[in-house]
Amino acid sequence: MFNKTIKSMAILGVVAIGSGNTFALNAAEVPITGTVESKCIIQTSTAGTYGNPNAYTLSTQQADGGDQAVVRFDVTLADAYYAEITPPTSFSSSPSLPDQVTWTGTVEVQAVSDATGMGTYEADKLEIGNTDRYTLTATGSTWFAIHSTATMGGNKAFPGGTYTAVAEAVCVAK
Amino acid sequence: MRLLTYIILGIMLALPVHAHEMVPAYPEMRPAHVDGLLVTTMKMFNKRADVEFYEVGVFDENFQPVPFVTAYNIFKLEYLGNTTFDIYIREQDRNRAAYICSRSKIRKGSSTSTAISSKICSKIIK
Repeated sequence: MFNKTIKSMAILGVVAIGSGNTFALNAAEVPITGTVESKCIIQTSTAGTYGNPNAYTLSTQQADGGDQAVVRFDVTLADAYYAEITPPTSFSSSPSLPDQVTWTGTVEVQAVSDATGMGTYEADKLEIGNTDRYTLTATGSTWFAIHSTATMGGNKAFPGGTYTAVAEAVCVAK
Repeated sequence: MRLLTYIILGIMLALPVHAHEMVPAYPEMRPAHVDGLLVTTMKMFNKRADVEFYEVGVFDENFQPVPFVTAYNIFKLEYLGNTTFDIYIREQDRNRAAYICSRSKIRKGSSTSTAISSKICSKIIK
């Protein structure tokens, strides 16, 4: 009886060691693979909010109680992409408005990860209608600040409610 | 001054961000299993917690739409989700099709501020 128990324990031990080895071998062979591809990533750092400095103006300027929208472009290949940014030109949702709204907007480079390679982005930008086009000539990150102002026609007041406007950030491969 | 720049940059890098990503940047159309069609495979990654839906499209050099077929033009992509999809175009449109673009779709009323619509366009290799 005692011998039988010893024999069973020994068999169990061998099986356990065997499975342990197999597990160890499998665990050692788990591959982690990855591919590096050239890409452009658009990151929305801050969505932005409108302040209401007077009855007929909505503005993202800090002085007006708003917050500018900030969008970040990360590129991993130099001189391969354009960044095209368009401030809002209409509300995507709002209460019923009493008059026409006039829109103004600006885009500017707020910060760059490589001051040498990206230092001329703002000076070299191309304005196409409401859209600002930047040629991303260096790899790294660029933060763009988007300001927007909406003014109600005839100095009429914006009705109470929630207003949303959409800015567009586009990354186009050259 | 330089130290201040690095500090500001460090703070900005540490801020939470929401990203939209699509690869490859330069897809190549290859013959599909159906005669007269070309296909390419695109991959997307959604790191925008505020966006659940994306729309894809094929455009010419002037960003005019080019006919194409994919499983869903507008599809749901969860936060931190990956998806791979095939884009089919007609062989006769090979020279016309220039860009494959994906655009984030923002739900009406889902934001109380300025929202940012992101769009990434890959250029088709001729």
